[in-house]
Formats: sequence, structure tokens, C-alpha cells
Amino acid sequence: MPTPWIVGLAGAVFAVGAAGVMVRRNPLIMFMSAEMMWNAAALAFVAYAHQFHQMTGQVMAFVIVATAAAEVGIGLALIVWIYHRRPRLDVDEISEMKG
Amino acid sequence: MIGFIILAVLALGFALAVVVAKHPVHSALALVGHVVVLAVFYLLLKAEFLAAAQVIVYAGAIMILFLFVVTLLTAGKEDQDARESLPAQRGIAAFLAILGGALLAGTAVRVAGTPAAGRAPTGYGGLLDMGRLLWGPDFPYLALVALMLLTAALGVIVLNRPEPAGAPVKEGR
Repeated sequence: MPTPWIVGLAGAVFAVGAAGVMVRRNPLIMFMSAEMMWNAAALAFVAYAHQFHQMTGQVMAFVIVATAAAEVGIGLALIVWIYHRRPRLDVDEISEMKG
Repeated sequence: MIGFIILAVLALGFALAVVVAKHPVHSALALVGHVVVLAVFYLLLKAEFLAAAQVIVYAGAIMILFLFVVTLLTAGKEDQDARESLPAQRGIAAFLAILGGALLAGTAVRVAGTPAAGRAPTGYGGLLDMGRLLWGPDFPYLALVALMLLTAALGVIVLNRPEPAGAPVKEGR
């Protein structure tokens, strides 16, 4: 498989994720779209690691997977916390963060 | 090449399904499919350890956490959108995202770079080599990841601590 095409696919997936973050207003779906953007970056790292036979790219992808795990823990805790106070899942409703 | 096209179509289809799904449960299931397709890509790119980690951490832990929260928060509710406070924001955002993605993908396809000569060294991408890297020259990354996961766990505990006694609890609006 040619590396440029895989990196191109990663770019396309990244764009789809970015569109999801900006277009959807359900925080859960926005969050999953952000996960897709992480994944696209990891795919690009792995593709270039394969192209140059350097495993450092795979270490970076490992860091991305771990970061995603930490991010999901914090993010979902935040979403549940907000939901306890405003029982509608819509990010536009929490646009004011004045405490 | 045909295999690549099939996998790419699957990955993009699942990605689009995540974004356009009406209910978050459907998004989560599509994301599981997307993650598994990416794991197949990792296997084909000789990243065996990462493929296993991807399936275990993403499709296992993270997506189950997502499904828990989705069932906890949206059981039996429909996700109807309220009025749009920023008119035309969605169209512009989608257009800009597609434009940016086309630029990214186009650049990646045009600027190929020269591949390394010869075959990948034996053991490349396997568990042993990955461990040697992570506990050897790349140890700072492993330490930072450990620190970050610890911080995240602490953050979750702080977020979920009980309200102080006597503080008024605001329920909804």
C-alpha cells in the first residue's frame, strides 16, 4: 500500500472529524468526532513510521492512544457533570461559562 | 490496491456515519467499526502492537465507557435540535472542514517523500521492539503518559466529589 494514499485517507478522516465537531451540537457526538481526529493523526504517524522504517512514529501513535484514553475519562466526567445541572445535551446551552 | 480502496471506503463510511447519525448510540457503534478498520490498517503497516492496543483500548475500554454514558444520559430520549443561534454556521463550518481536508489529503498524496530502502528490520512493530523503545530511549514518553493518566484519574475524582454539605444543589434550570 502506497504511503501517500494512506496519509491522504488520514487527512480525509481528519476533515470528517473536524466537520463533526463543528456541525453537531450533541457533546457526545462532538467528542467522538474529536476521537476520530486523534485516530487520523495516529494513522498518519504509523504510515510514515512504516515508510521510513522508524519505530518512533509508532511510539507517537502509542502516546496518542493513551492520550485519548485520558481525554475520554475527563471529557465524559465533564459531560455527566454538566448534564446533572442542565438536562439537555446541547453545547449551545452551556455557552456561558460564568460560573 | 483494491484492498486499500475497500478499507479506505469502509473507514470513510464509518467516519461519516459517526458524524451524521441521529442518535449517539449509532455514532458509538460506527466509531467501533472505524477503530477496527484502522486496526487492520495498523496490521498491514506492520504495527502489530499498536493494532492490538487500538482494539483493546479503543474498541474495548473507550467505546464501552462511551456506551455507558450514552445509555446513562440519553436513554429513551430523542435528540432534537433547538433553534440555531448562529445562522449559516453549519454550512460554512462543513465547507471549511471539507476544504481543509481536501488540502491535507492533496498535499499528502502529492508530496510523497522517498521510502526507506529495503525491507523493514525483523521484529519491527512487534511487542519486543516496542518495549525496548519505550523502556529505553523513548522512556520520557512513557513516563509522561503515566503522569497524564494519573492526572486524568485525579481530575475525574475531583469532578465527581460530593457537594459540600449545606451547599444548595441547583437542579436543572
